[in-house]
Amino acid sequence: MNTPNINPVESDCGGKVLKETCEHHEECMKIIQLILDGEATEDEKDHFRNNIDVCLPCIKSLELEKCIKDSLCNKIEKRPCPEKLVALIKEKITSSKE
Amino acid sequence: MPDTSKGEGHSSELRYEVFNREFMPHIDSMYNFAFRLTMDEDDAHDLVQDTYLKAFRFINSFEVGTNAKAWLFRILKNSFINDYRKKSKEPSKVDYQEVETTYNSEDTPDSAHTVDLRADAVQDLIGDEVANALNALPVDFRTVIILCDIEGFTYEEMAKILDIPIGTVRSRLHRARNLLKEKLKSYAGSMGYDI
Repeated sequence: MNTPNINPVESDCGGKVLKETCEHHEECMKIIQLILDGEATEDEKDHFRNNIDVCLPCIKSLELEKCIKDSLCNKIEKRPCPEKLVALIKEKITSSKE
Repeated sequence: MPDTSKGEGHSSELRYEVFNREFMPHIDSMYNFAFRLTMDEDDAHDLVQDTYLKAFRFINSFEVGTNAKAWLFRILKNSFINDYRKKSKEPSKVDYQEVETTYNSEDTPDSAHTVDLRADAVQDLIGDEVANALNALPVDFRTVIILCDIEGFTYEEMAKILDIPIGTVRSRLHRARNLLKEKLKSYAGSMGYDI
């Protein structure tokens, strides 16, 4: 006999119950960013590990934050310093050395 | 053998060697940072030049083996603030201190909202669109995102570069990223992407 799901904030996904709302999402967002920045403490990593598999908003936020970080790092044009500027700086340093 | 760990009393030759070996490899990153701060090629050109000349002038205070990139970025940041404040004497310019105070994360509470934006909408954005969203941020928020996500500095390094507590680095990054998401959502929406 199936027990009806009386909790409106959960959904069943392949046997795993995923929360569809996160009651402390602002805090989770901070931890997600710390994790991605490599700055999380062990406690924060534990919180992340315990929650990420069961919280849909956090799963989506992790994906979004990763995507933004990747876009910033890889999509934005990185211009080389103009060669004339490099030459000018070297010339000024050399002339100050003499 | 002279002690090369500290710059004190370095010979002229050694200063030049340290400058070329430790400082010049970072010039591309410095130029990009200067451009993102000033949003002007000529100003970026002047800022990078000033920074490298200052770095050479004060090379004796640089400890060989420590993080040269962070040291240079700190000089550049300070030069930018000083130059921006100098420019802000003009009536048409915004006062940097006023902007910084307005957006100081300690003065205003963290926003409790989350920005509703899909990851695949961000993936569809091209580099120019992402850059425009970044450039639209106030300069101190733009700075922390550049230092962390583009230049890869740690929070501790960022705290030293910006001369702020690590806690402020964390909170400012969090607020900057929320603002950036809003800008990205706005750009994605205006481009007709499904956000």
